[in-house]
Amino acid sequence: MNESLVREISRRTFLGRGAAGLGIVALNSLIGPRLSAAAQTAARPSNGVVNPLDFPPKARRVIFLYQAGGPSHLETFDYKPKLADLNGTPMPESLTRGQQIAQLQGQKLMCLGPTHGFKRFGDSGQDVCELFPHIGGIIDETCVVRSMWTEQINHDPAHTFMNSGSIITGRPSMGSWILYGLGAEVDNLPGFVVLVSQGNGGQMQPIAARQWSAGLLPSRFQGVRFNSVGDPVLYIRNPPGVTGEMQRDSIQTITALNEIGNRTLHDPELQTRIAQYEMAFRMQTSVPGLLDMSSEPAHILEMYGAKPGDGSFASNCLLARRLAERGVRFIQLYHRDWDHHSDVRNNLVFKAQEVDKPTAALIADLKQRGMLDDTLVIWGGEFGRTPMSQGRGGRDHHIKGFSYMLAGGGIKKGFTYGATDDLGYAAVEHPVSVHDFHATMLYLLGIDAAKLAVKYQGLDVRLTGPEGGTVVRDILA
Amino acid sequence: MVGLFACVAVVAGQEPGRTSFNRDIRPIMSDTCFKCHGPDRNARKADMRLDVREEAIKPTRGGRVPIVPGDPESSEIVRRIFADGARMMPPAYSHKTLTAAQKDTIRRWVGEGAVYEGHWAYQPVTRPSVPAIADTSRIRNPIDAFIQDRLRREGLTSAPPADKRTLLRRVSLDLTGLLPAPDEMRAFLADPAPDAYEKAVDRLLSTRAYAEQRTMRWLDAVRYGDTAGFHGDNPIPAWPYRDYVLNAFLENRPFDRFTREQIAGDLLPRATVEQRVASAYNRLNRTSAEGGLQPKEYLAKYGADRVRTVSTVWLGSTLGCAECHDHKFDPFLSKDFYAMKAFFADIQETGLVPDRGARAWGAQLALPTDAQKAALADVDAKLAAARARLDAASTMKPSDEETWENELKDRWQAGALAWTWQHPIAARAVNGATLTVYDQEAIESNFYLDGSLKTDRKPGDGLVVASGANPDRETYVVTLKPGPGDWNQVGLEVVQDESLPGARYARGADRFLLSEVEAELVEPGQPPRRLSFAMATVNDTPPAVSSTNDPSMPPPAAIDGNQKTAWGIRFGEARNPFLALRLSEPVRTTADSTIVVTLRHESDLRRAVIGRFRLALAHDPFAWPPTGDAGRRLRSRDQSGKTTWASGLSEDVMRALRRPAEDRDQAETAALRDYLILSNPALTDLYQEVQRLETERGLLDASIPHVVTTVATEPPATRILPRANWMDDSGPIVEPAIPRFLGALDTKGERASRLDLANWLVSSANPLTARTFVNRVWREFFGIGLSRTLDDLGSQGEWPTHQELLDWLASEFMHPEGQRESTHDWDVRHVIRLIVTSDTYRQSSRGISRDDKDPENRLFSRQNRFRIDAENVRDIALQVSGLLRERFGGPSVNPPEPPGYLGALNFPKREYSASHGDDLYRRGLYTTWQRTYLHPSLLNFDAPPREECMVGRGTSNTPLQALDLLNDPIYVEAARVFAQQAIASGASFNGQLEWIFDRALNRAPTGEERSILRGLYDRNLKAFTANVSSARELLAEGETPVPPNVNPARLAALGMVARAVLNLHEFITRN
Repeated sequence: MNESLVREISRRTFLGRGAAGLGIVALNSLIGPRLSAAAQTAARPSNGVVNPLDFPPKARRVIFLYQAGGPSHLETFDYKPKLADLNGTPMPESLTRGQQIAQLQGQKLMCLGPTHGFKRFGDSGQDVCELFPHIGGIIDETCVVRSMWTEQINHDPAHTFMNSGSIITGRPSMGSWILYGLGAEVDNLPGFVVLVSQGNGGQMQPIAARQWSAGLLPSRFQGVRFNSVGDPVLYIRNPPGVTGEMQRDSIQTITALNEIGNRTLHDPELQTRIAQYEMAFRMQTSVPGLLDMSSEPAHILEMYGAKPGDGSFASNCLLARRLAERGVRFIQLYHRDWDHHSDVRNNLVFKAQEVDKPTAALIADLKQRGMLDDTLVIWGGEFGRTPMSQGRGGRDHHIKGFSYMLAGGGIKKGFTYGATDDLGYAAVEHPVSVHDFHATMLYLLGIDAAKLAVKYQGLDVRLTGPEGGTVVRDILA
Repeated sequence: MVGLFACVAVVAGQEPGRTSFNRDIRPIMSDTCFKCHGPDRNARKADMRLDVREEAIKPTRGGRVPIVPGDPESSEIVRRIFADGARMMPPAYSHKTLTAAQKDTIRRWVGEGAVYEGHWAYQPVTRPSVPAIADTSRIRNPIDAFIQDRLRREGLTSAPPADKRTLLRRVSLDLTGLLPAPDEMRAFLADPAPDAYEKAVDRLLSTRAYAEQRTMRWLDAVRYGDTAGFHGDNPIPAWPYRDYVLNAFLENRPFDRFTREQIAGDLLPRATVEQRVASAYNRLNRTSAEGGLQPKEYLAKYGADRVRTVSTVWLGSTLGCAECHDHKFDPFLSKDFYAMKAFFADIQETGLVPDRGARAWGAQLALPTDAQKAALADVDAKLAAARARLDAASTMKPSDEETWENELKDRWQAGALAWTWQHPIAARAVNGATLTVYDQEAIESNFYLDGSLKTDRKPGDGLVVASGANPDRETYVVTLKPGPGDWNQVGLEVVQDESLPGARYARGADRFLLSEVEAELVEPGQPPRRLSFAMATVNDTPPAVSSTNDPSMPPPAAIDGNQKTAWGIRFGEARNPFLALRLSEPVRTTADSTIVVTLRHESDLRRAVIGRFRLALAHDPFAWPPTGDAGRRLRSRDQSGKTTWASGLSEDVMRALRRPAEDRDQAETAALRDYLILSNPALTDLYQEVQRLETERGLLDASIPHVVTTVATEPPATRILPRANWMDDSGPIVEPAIPRFLGALDTKGERASRLDLANWLVSSANPLTARTFVNRVWREFFGIGLSRTLDDLGSQGEWPTHQELLDWLASEFMHPEGQRESTHDWDVRHVIRLIVTSDTYRQSSRGISRDDKDPENRLFSRQNRFRIDAENVRDIALQVSGLLRERFGGPSVNPPEPPGYLGALNFPKREYSASHGDDLYRRGLYTTWQRTYLHPSLLNFDAPPREECMVGRGTSNTPLQALDLLNDPIYVEAARVFAQQAIASGASFNGQLEWIFDRALNRAPTGEERSILRGLYDRNLKAFTANVSSARELLAEGETPVPPNVNPARLAALGMVARAVLNLHEFITRN
């Protein structure tokens, strides 16, 4: 761990890397075409505090397809024929006694069998809900973990726990930790990008900006949300009437004036400021190109089912690939509306229409570009759903067992890991905690989760909490 | 790494003589030993405890003696830290290592007798004597003596004093968050008096801006926000608390009183309104209204938040860590955490804190003016009398009632109560929106029903849909051609749709607000005749007199002739409100008659404009509005939807009519009875009077500020929750108590109260509050605390660089010995005045690389330079441009925000509505603190979301800040208005530039700067002259008008110059 960086954090006056690394480069030279991501990344595995890396990295970047609201594991990846047998009968009390439940508190608990059928897919023969045939088509690339569990049963705290490993707000999110640990591979885009989409079916639970906050890390490590309406990045558009040429002129002028002070003051913050204005301008020039999908061939758009600019999950999956190509370290897509307290059967049809094809397309597309090997793709939400029914054919929040799907970036292929009990209630075989998941993700990126820590209020704050997590070695390729 | 060692060398290496436990050993042990060999019994390994001497010198169960004083080689800890492999301490798995120097230091300390010392911060505050310094040239007050003493010993010297310009700019920014005005600067420069600076300081300390700046910092600490912070993140009534803080700092309220009022204002004898407002402090924690949450879990969260806040803000301690286990490093036990939590157990609250309805936010305090109080009493008296009259008149004999019921049933079955949906023949919007009538044309509707989104495509059946331009205010004019008939009511159904951002009703905002409905009858060849309305009802059930659950937006406000009042709905998931307006007298239409209905949206809330609606007419004056379920058309078997649900009676009444009287439940009986009263023509006048008074009362009440407040109740038992598990009730019950190692409260056997806690916090028995506070204050004026760790003065916190100075300041804070007559105990302004009038404060900040011995300037041999805080970035940009509207206190305001920023929120779904007029230009302090989506320009500059207590913000330096200052419309407008003012100040470019520099940077431009900016001006002038329309586009940003006589290209070009200046590092840096 780089001691002086840690000290910088506690001092809370952070110097950009630009202060030492970039120096003052004539702005003109930075506006030209950037090096390709591949060329840039070949050079250095880490620009962050974990340097050298703790382990040989398997993945260089992460795309997290975050299914917000809590997808039903029982209608995606965790096939429970026994639950179908018990449909409409009381849930065995032995499973539920003393357990925390959410809206079903105090109600009669009745089993709700899987509302859709499952099929075996791929050479690996994994059971996947038949609503997700495209995912079934790439299932041999993935590892399904059926034994996830978490600690928080309401959306907001559960998101916070999944993202930061803590329920106390103000802790860095996983993307911020990774950006802090590894640095960015790109200097004309943020290193941690967030995309939010919504679809049909299920209540749209709110998602707080804290989910991608840098928390107690310097704010340059925070996730930057790209918007589908208005400015794609806040304030990235020039003021009305100001052309790109005029904007560049203004920034050059500001830099020239700042340079006057820099000659006499030796203020590292001033040097950083100059570098950040340059970076801002590079972002202004690179983001429009990033978002311009006109260069994508029709078959690729068709593969994802994406209509550029519509803000759908499909478009965001395609955008995620473009971000990954450009060297963005952590890309997190939130897709909302998985909160199926009622009518899980019909709502899932909507969800499947929205996510099945693009999820599979992203994995296949990364593979055909040779990027899947070093891109870790994660699919899952903040918790699962009860095997018990709620209201009109719905399922409540559930924390004791749910599924995650992982692919690429050093993950074993065509593999299933862990299991819930016969009714899909609790993870009983190889339970994987949120902290274990975090530790594994960091391991694949070459980071020892136990060592990635910053001192705060006397404690070593880590993504994996005070107790730490265990790398799930069985799912590593 | 170089910096680290250099710094350690400076701070810790001053006396190479004997080791000191506190200075040399405790930091090492705390970081590397105490986790397993410290206060936490449950985590202790090998039965070895090292933080207490008598334990450390005893043999362990294994027979080893950890420390043998004077004999390092026999001491187990020395053997182990020098060991290799598996025996090495600290062990490899801890990821901690000791340096060779650290190992030697421990060995030396054991050899010297292993003398322990209590941790400095837990010792009573004593007043250190001020060092005598022979050379008094740099001594203005005792602060300087402590600083100079250390500098002298380190062989360092102070930087020269800052020049007067820098100094006034610095102290103005620090004290008020604003820049000195040019005339203030000129007066200061021209004042030759030796105390010119002190006079300037005193002037600044007496300003409202000073109170605002202090408030801004205090609000971080007490996690003040304007919204709930969880889930729907809806607005909480909190701003009167903020105004309490403003006033407290304005009048320099003693900090002990300030503390008592916030923590226990409600418990003070004969508590004043102000003290009860102050007690809102206890209610500023985040709360959740998420359905299905477990109340007990959230009560545990709220309680833990209060412990973390009080321990961070007053104790500079991390007691929050003891929620799960005994503290690893400081002597806080888990029991101490829960005993602290128990102080707050008496606060009346619920786990699910409703964010709407009559019980929203729990206990609230109304803050009426005297006039409002009198008006309220008046309307209450009238309302009581009117209700009594209505009750008296509305008795009906059972047999009559039966007859009435039978008649009602017959009329309903005959369809006499039904509404007739209208198919408008024309619809237009006055301010630019497009209205389309969907009648036989199919249109897609998307709405939530039973928890999932339904899509429905069918003929619109008279649906009017707004699209296209989306002005802030809009008026719809809809023409109906009902055919022949007699009508007594006009109905408006507001149709929810997922495509609408404002609570799914409106084209913006978080609700719709219908200011006024008007109707005219138009007969061919005759002038239009205005129809007047007598009464407004909506489809809430039961059909009580009071027919809305939000008294601030009552239905009659839509027909009261007042454009500022409005009927609206904010929360209405899956409901279509229906407004039934009873005409004062029936209207008869012929085949050719038309009725023109006008819907006005004139509210100040931008775009609270209805997006989809239908109109209906009813013959019966008492036809009840149709049920509000958004999905009823979907479920209706009749495609046109005319018969099955527009029947004219509420569901409860219909249910009641279907069963015998004895089988009806309470709701049905009440609904039927209420309807009986409503529909009795003999009672109409009395009924309308009640409704009129209820409306008046609702609007009056809504105009009265409210604030959440603390109400004490019988406290439930507080249990220790094993590992913070709120489901585990097995832990012992604890009573309120201060952390045990800090003493015990003498409450004569009574349960200790929050007031006892507050009194102890500001008593001399507590060593921590004053130290914590002055350390935090020091940081504001030097960029770093005397201890860097503002939130942790414990073992893991940083040892202060000048402990004696910190203690002296703490002592002077509590009991000033200063000579100024207005000074009192716990005098915040006095401490700040001492700091800013010290020579140390007044030094130049130049020369960062001057001396490698102290690269971080921890010894304060010069001033520091740092970026100003988020709110102040905004404040000074508005100030120099002349846009700033200085108004002290009041409700929070909404400066513009990028569209879609709140798009991931729900309950309600909403779109941000910016303020209008002066409220666009208030100080950043007054910006609505939306906790889950803090205003982006505040967030970009490191303002905390205040979901948690936060002391000591970061000051990062990011490209997003650059984008913000360059492109955020408020800064674009500020630059343009700044240029406008500059043009008004003088003719030549040079004069204008000087004017800009004088205001923004408090200095004149150099020749080099002049020529660089001249170049920018010329190039932009050329571009804008070639393309004047682009200049006009730029100038159109913001609400401030452009003077008519100005050349747009010149103004735009100078605006670009002003913009460059507002983007300078120097502008946002305090040096």
